[in-house]
Amino acid sequence: MSDEAFTTARLPGASAIHFRPVTMERKHVRVALILISLAFLGLFLIMPVVAVFVEAFRGGMPAFAEAIFEPDAAAAIRLTLLVAAISVPCNLVFGLAASWAIAKFDFKGKSLLNTLIDLPFSVSPVIAGLIYILMFGSQSLLGPWLKSEGIQVIFAVPGIVLATIFVTFPFVARELIPLMEEQGRGDEEAALSLGASGFQVFFRVTLPNVKWALLYGVLLCNARAMGEFGAVSVVSGHIRGLTNTMPLHVEILYNEYNFAAAFAVASLLALLALFTLVVKSVLEWRYADEIAATRRH
Amino acid sequence: MNAITPIDKGASVALGAPIDVTIENVQKAFGDTPALHGVSLDVKAGELVALLGPSGSGKTTLLRILAGLDAPTAGRVLFGGDDALGLSVQDRNVGFVFQHYALFRHMTVFQNIAFGLTVRPRGERPPKAEIRKRVLHLLDLVQLTGLDKRYPSQLSGGQRQRVALARALAIEPRVLLLDEPFGALDAQVRKDLRRWLREIHDQTGHTTFFVTHDQEEALELADRVVVMSKGRIEQVGTPDEIYDAPASPFVFEFIGESSFLPVTVVDGAVQLDGRPLDLSGLGAPSGTATLGFRPHDVSIVEDGSPAITGTIVTERRHGGARRLELEVGTDKHRVEIDMPVDHSRLAGNQIAFRPHRWRIFPR
Repeated sequence: MSDEAFTTARLPGASAIHFRPVTMERKHVRVALILISLAFLGLFLIMPVVAVFVEAFRGGMPAFAEAIFEPDAAAAIRLTLLVAAISVPCNLVFGLAASWAIAKFDFKGKSLLNTLIDLPFSVSPVIAGLIYILMFGSQSLLGPWLKSEGIQVIFAVPGIVLATIFVTFPFVARELIPLMEEQGRGDEEAALSLGASGFQVFFRVTLPNVKWALLYGVLLCNARAMGEFGAVSVVSGHIRGLTNTMPLHVEILYNEYNFAAAFAVASLLALLALFTLVVKSVLEWRYADEIAATRRH
Repeated sequence: MNAITPIDKGASVALGAPIDVTIENVQKAFGDTPALHGVSLDVKAGELVALLGPSGSGKTTLLRILAGLDAPTAGRVLFGGDDALGLSVQDRNVGFVFQHYALFRHMTVFQNIAFGLTVRPRGERPPKAEIRKRVLHLLDLVQLTGLDKRYPSQLSGGQRQRVALARALAIEPRVLLLDEPFGALDAQVRKDLRRWLREIHDQTGHTTFFVTHDQEEALELADRVVVMSKGRIEQVGTPDEIYDAPASPFVFEFIGESSFLPVTVVDGAVQLDGRPLDLSGLGAPSGTATLGFRPHDVSIVEDGSPAITGTIVTERRHGGARRLELEVGTDKHRVEIDMPVDHSRLAGNQIAFRPHRWRIFPR
């Protein structure tokens, strides 16, 4: 945008005066800032994503389809969907409960809970995986009992689900807590004084007030649940066709120098990320007024 | 906002008979912090009562206890002679209007007003057509006809507050409670809404409590004013009683403008610094006391008869009068008096005056 685009005023007896908002930098600074951002994004984000798709389709469409529908890959895709289908609803319920508790009433240990919710963000996913091996592995306290009951947690689907839940549980809660705290308890009190039951208050007042934030949280949670590598890698055992999720399958293929197949499966994960971004943007654009209204007002 | 027009007398809101409200020795503490120290109050059916006090006086706490949004630590609340504290918020059937409206932002004006009716159990819920009729009628009552499809974010502050009131009235409450109903509105809208609320009350006849820190609002609107301070009731009375016969220096200072001087009462007469002022002690016992008067209730004394003499510190314009700030007596107590506008005096000059209405508070 050129400087001339801004208001040019002519006062009597004075030459033209250019008005530039005081917080707006000079033109060369603006251009430099934009170029730096674009270069950085291109180098670290756009080029790699493009590379993934280029590599994926290097062998043409038939090779791509074969890599994806090959039985082990299909099993990995199914397992990833299953894990997400279990862990996302769990974290939806947990996130709602935790943010309700933190935002709407006071109790001892509230700030501790608030801090603990962030724990998965600050702990390395590898450690998250190791925790579950220590808890449920054969050397653990629970190990012998689990074995005698015939329940396998580690190196099986339950362990993968547990590790995924651990890693993804802050997403929904972190979206909801600030919004619910900002909205306060006034609406709920009003609904109660008008005779609504607890369930009615939740489903007709509280939930509609946070529905967009909740949807964002679920989207982000889902993207992470499907893409999680570290924690899942520790507890999975990498059994092909049984305990391999998509990210693990990509690694195995890559280590076997099967680059075309590795990138084909990876491109699905990249597509998931793009899809999440698009849905988020569309929601923001389509419901901008409503989203703004639930935040302000 | 539209000018508020008189309410159509033909319109009426279905409601039960208004009820008495009795508050007996209600106490409330938040943790170790006391908010109410044993408050008792009798309110007759259909009365419009203002709970007036500075912030932290416990007025909102008392209102929330009446609504069931807070529970008292001790005491009783009776609605029409029946215990109300045993009832949940939902069963208490009170209309509560929040300071910041608390309108449901994702619902239209219509849905907001209808909310209290639509959440009723199936058996008690009026049919859809009946709900619609009642909501549209309430919209007429609060003079928002035609705005039923708007969302709260599309309304002005005054309009939102009227929707909040309509929503509270929709459930046919036994008691109407308003928490600083005009607190967030600008001055002109406040004045219009005040008059309009009084008309609505006269028409619907609910027993109504409203919380305010604005004494002008309380005096203009209420049948009776309850002045509160630090969790206690300082005085209950009609606006005239509160203004003309304040029971304590707090009430005197909080309501209207006031000046105070430390004086001595000797044999039923008031003395300042040992000199008689020719003012009656108004029955106060002999001893130290506080003399209170309104700045506009004074006369200038120029004939040398007993008077309060002070040195003018500043003068400034105050509405239709000229206000002088004086230093009086050996301790240089500051008092304010009003003079006619054309009566200009210079700072540093002496002036003598005597209040023609005053109060004596024994210390």
